[in-house]
Amino acid sequence: MEKYQILEHKADVKIKVFGRTKEELFLNALKGMNYILKPEVEKGFCKKREIKIESLNLDTLLVDFLSEILYLTQVNRETYEDIKFKEFTNNKIEGELRGRKIKRLGEDIKGVTYHNLKIQKKENFWTTTILFDI
Amino acid sequence: MISKKNFRKISDWLWEIPKEFRQDMKVPARVYASEKMLEDIFRDRSLEQLVNVSTLPGIQKYALAMPDAHEGYGFCIGGVAATKFPEGVISPGGVGYDQNCGVRLLRSEYTEREIKPYLDKLAIEIQKQVPSGLGRGRKVKLSFAQIDKILEGGVPYLVEQGYGQEEDVINCEEKGRMEQADVSCVSERAKNRGRDQVGTLGSGNHFCEIQKVEEIFDETAAKAFGLFKDQIVVMIHTGSRGFGHQNCTDYLRIVIPAYPKYGIKLPDRELACVPFNSPEGQKFFKAMCAACNFAWSNRHMIMHYIRKAWKSVLGEKTNLHLIYDVAHNIAKIEEHEIDGKRTKLIVHRKGATRAFPPHHSDIPEKYQEVGQPVLIPGSMGTASYVLAGTEESKEAWYTVCHGAGRTMSRREATRRISGQDVINNLEKEGIIVKCWSMRGIAEEAPIAYKNIDNVVEVVHNAKLARKVARLRPLAVIKGE
Repeated sequence: MEKYQILEHKADVKIKVFGRTKEELFLNALKGMNYILKPEVEKGFCKKREIKIESLNLDTLLVDFLSEILYLTQVNRETYEDIKFKEFTNNKIEGELRGRKIKRLGEDIKGVTYHNLKIQKKENFWTTTILFDI
Repeated sequence: MISKKNFRKISDWLWEIPKEFRQDMKVPARVYASEKMLEDIFRDRSLEQLVNVSTLPGIQKYALAMPDAHEGYGFCIGGVAATKFPEGVISPGGVGYDQNCGVRLLRSEYTEREIKPYLDKLAIEIQKQVPSGLGRGRKVKLSFAQIDKILEGGVPYLVEQGYGQEEDVINCEEKGRMEQADVSCVSERAKNRGRDQVGTLGSGNHFCEIQKVEEIFDETAAKAFGLFKDQIVVMIHTGSRGFGHQNCTDYLRIVIPAYPKYGIKLPDRELACVPFNSPEGQKFFKAMCAACNFAWSNRHMIMHYIRKAWKSVLGEKTNLHLIYDVAHNIAKIEEHEIDGKRTKLIVHRKGATRAFPPHHSDIPEKYQEVGQPVLIPGSMGTASYVLAGTEESKEAWYTVCHGAGRTMSRREATRRISGQDVINNLEKEGIIVKCWSMRGIAEEAPIAYKNIDNVVEVVHNAKLARKVARLRPLAVIKGE
């Protein structure tokens, strides 16, 4: 299964994300956002960061999750490629991010928008579109 | 699906969708465009978004779209909406993530012929002095206490610290500081993201350009602005960087769950808004003011570094003077006339620029006779314009467009042209490009934007502002 697709949008960047489970959907959204950011990675060891998010519902949880990762990327100058979920509900995420230090980013994501974001279960996978303000 | 038959033609430059078009519209929706440009606007969802804006509680007279309008999220880019103060709504989405993204223009005493031997060296020095700030900011990271001073003090604080001069305050919209800023309304996260970003450019369509004055349309206004033909000027386009982005993210998170409790129903979640006089509305406005002060400080410090670069190449006696600085993503409290009565409004400009007329009390004294300078940057390598505000623009809350407006996605642009081809084409026209990302250059290719001359013609013909000067780029700098 594809992890994500880049879709057309006039001014910003839109992706469609897929996952066999909700956790995989969130992980692939992280990978999609990383693809957009185009980090230039430094050599060195993996960094681990704890992440804890609570939100109103699954859709806003995804926005808050990606927004938090964007924040951590900017202030720690790290890129996060993977996450080990310790807790995952429709309102809460707790986990350990794994990433590496970066020299710079190739793109500046200003924000993770709520635009047309609706996580849906299809037959045997979960999917949503996400629009990033560039 | 909106089509031309839904429009009433007001003039060759102004089109209206009546509020009867959809049940939830509170006011009509108006678009400033030529007939040909209107056909292009149908190709994306900007008109649907404009109609959605017309449903905002407290909105006055019209939801407006400028001639560079294109699809955004919530508001279309190039969207303007004024709501009644204090009970009308304020919307973080009506400002955008890049709070107080804007433009400033500096004038030099040089002509094109005089600067030519130094152009490449100037571009290199400016690129060295002004980083993009992507994934790494400036070497010096400000303390939280220093950031707080910038958030509350803005440009006047920086001038007091010895960066710049008094005219840098006078010649800035709001004199570089919105006094309602309150640092207690700003999250630690936003401050943390801003600490190493003061004096950084960002990416995408942000830039520094060395330009020349190619044509003067209004000699009187040009003289008042200090412009002459073949003069060298410098334009800076950037905003509040990660600070503003985080600030907007923080407040969308607060406002989205809050708006239903005020009985507000919206056709689009990204229009999330609360009454201006609600606790959330007040906090957002004060935090937005802080972000605006950050952005003005950012452009001020970039100007400071460019002045350093300028002097290092051309000598200590040279200087660059600020003509004006305008914001194009902002919400302001302004007084306007509605049905003959002075009325206080909350004016949202998302990808739209304020353009106050002659004799307005909020513009510098030396511009009183001619009107506020209005700066419209073109796409990379194309013209930019200086205009002056007009009285006729009162119908649009004294507002004009902010740029050329995109016509295609970034992916489409990179499919059609490579960064190297863009640079080669620009170099054939004698334009130097300094950048670090070819992909970024392709995404910002002139083919991805509307024709700025056509956009400005609409602004001029609709009398929203009048043309003063056309500027042509000589060097484009996109950060280190």
